[in-house]
Amino acid sequence: MWQKIKDGFDERAGLQSLIRIKLKDYKVPSGINIFYTLGIVALIAYMIQAVSGYFLLIYYIPHPDYAFKSVQDMMNMVPFGWLPRMIHIVVSNLMVIVIILHLISIFVMLSYKKPRELTWIAGVCLFFITLIFCLSGYLLPWSQRSFWATTIVTNIPTAFPVIGDYIANVLRGGNNISGTTLSRFFALHIAFLPPVFLFIAGFHMFLVRRLGLSTPPFRTAAEGSDEGYPFYPHFFLKQVFMIMVFFSLVFFMMTFMPTTFLPEAANTPADPLKTPFSIKPEWYFLAPYQMFKIIPNKFFGISLQVLLAVIFLLWPYLDTKEEKNILKRPLLILFFILAWTIWVSLTLWGRYS
Amino acid sequence: MRYFFLPVIIIFILASSALASYREAFEKEFLFKSWGGEEPEVNACIDCHSSDIMKKEFQSVMQSWKRSWHYQNNVLCHDCHGGDYKDATMSMSHQRGFLGTPKYTEVPDFCGKCHIGILRNYLESGHGKALQATGKGPNCVTCHGSHNIQKANIEIINEGLCTKCHTYERAKIMKQALFATENKIRDIDKKLEDLKIEGIYVGDEKRELFSTQAEFRALFHTIDADLVKQRTDDFTRKLNVIDTKIKNSFNEIHFRKNFSAFLMLIFIGLSIVVSLLSKTYKD
Repeated sequence: MWQKIKDGFDERAGLQSLIRIKLKDYKVPSGINIFYTLGIVALIAYMIQAVSGYFLLIYYIPHPDYAFKSVQDMMNMVPFGWLPRMIHIVVSNLMVIVIILHLISIFVMLSYKKPRELTWIAGVCLFFITLIFCLSGYLLPWSQRSFWATTIVTNIPTAFPVIGDYIANVLRGGNNISGTTLSRFFALHIAFLPPVFLFIAGFHMFLVRRLGLSTPPFRTAAEGSDEGYPFYPHFFLKQVFMIMVFFSLVFFMMTFMPTTFLPEAANTPADPLKTPFSIKPEWYFLAPYQMFKIIPNKFFGISLQVLLAVIFLLWPYLDTKEEKNILKRPLLILFFILAWTIWVSLTLWGRYS
Repeated sequence: MRYFFLPVIIIFILASSALASYREAFEKEFLFKSWGGEEPEVNACIDCHSSDIMKKEFQSVMQSWKRSWHYQNNVLCHDCHGGDYKDATMSMSHQRGFLGTPKYTEVPDFCGKCHIGILRNYLESGHGKALQATGKGPNCVTCHGSHNIQKANIEIINEGLCTKCHTYERAKIMKQALFATENKIRDIDKKLEDLKIEGIYVGDEKRELFSTQAEFRALFHTIDADLVKQRTDDFTRKLNVIDTKIKNSFNEIHFRKNFSAFLMLIFIGLSIVVSLLSKTYKD
């Protein structure tokens, strides 16, 4: 009976041949490691965010008078309401880490080289969109921390001459963070960013599938050679394994470090008249924030950051050497180490200053 | 592409250098201004009392106040002394409601503008009656001090302070009557702080505790130990309600951690299964 249903369905949907063509016949280069699975882990993280976000939407009220209370009610009164919220918070941070690791692995393996320049650009765009997701979602609980951290970030564009104030006013919907800002960020977070993200992520994945996974640079086989093994089950199981590890990590954080991303100021309602003693943005914004603080000319500070972002985005077009093994590129190694040292130092400086 | 970037970088650097002095005000604001909300208002009292033109003893008033419980709770000079803190020239004008320093006998009314319940009980107490009858009884400042006012606690009742006016015997009985409830209040306050660190919002419980505590301390100002003993059960009941809520919250935290740990173990198990499964395929 079961077999008949299966055969009947397969006859109409052609599932078996689809699995064969798309999964079994699809070859991935041999020698690929777990770093190749970070992309799918990031994608799963986005999905978790979407699903947990739907649950949060049921109870959340985007109004300054109710936002904080609705979040607290969800945490303390709604049965298991804490679960989607904690997952949303922890995954939002781990997702940024996964994407950073993904970008590092792509950079170190020089996988952005021709013909994958557009894949890199789409990936970096997704990274930027993730940061905007984080920024816009950060304000929504309307806590002291979210209110003042957003105040800092929305003040930064005022460093631009002429249009700076206009940009800041558009972001905030006025001179200060207010209910209008909350509505704007809420709309941005749940309505504007997801379709943009889906479009770029779709393009990114289309390119990955179209061009195939890049061959690890540390092996001898030439790109495009037939050598390799089927995507399913070998690489597929590797991906599933990493997804399980990611989930384990999420619940590990929730068990042993539940307040890491939820400090005391996140549990204090926003008070526009009470400036906290120390205001700091989230960890992934600390480096640009610290850089902005130490550069005496603010216009130069913001120009430099825009420039660095553009260089990061268009990196495949700037690094035009054909050599794909980073070990044979000492200057690039030096540049990479230097860039990381600066980023980590600025983050730590920002954290402890 | 690289040749495109070179001029872009040069343009950026040139533009930045050309605009090096651009809006110095912004830089000052960026570094020092209070972010968002309204600009902090100028406070003539603080500005003047903090400046060097003020006599040393008046400057110390500001330093004392900055260490006080009032300061921590945003109670400013004009809240007690009146006047117009926005206008330096008229700040001490009586037309703008400036009260200045109250006379010794006026202190209870001065503080009682906010501490209404306490004033009522104090005036009915031996302390209050003595002040009203002779003008020499203890007022608020006698026990709490004036500018460096700290969060009240049971330690204010001590031999050194009370024996300035009378023997310690009666005060000791009062302290014993207060002891259990005060300890419970302190204990609950600490637990609420712990809950807050655990990521639980305790604003409602804090308010409930504050109101119970204020009511209890107002009662103390009657300095009637028997009355305090009589009412202790009421306060204990109210505090127990808050304590039960706290216990429930801690239980909830434990449940959350255990539940997360359970999910973590499931996913660790699944990752082990998948890892073993992939090994069989390789074989």
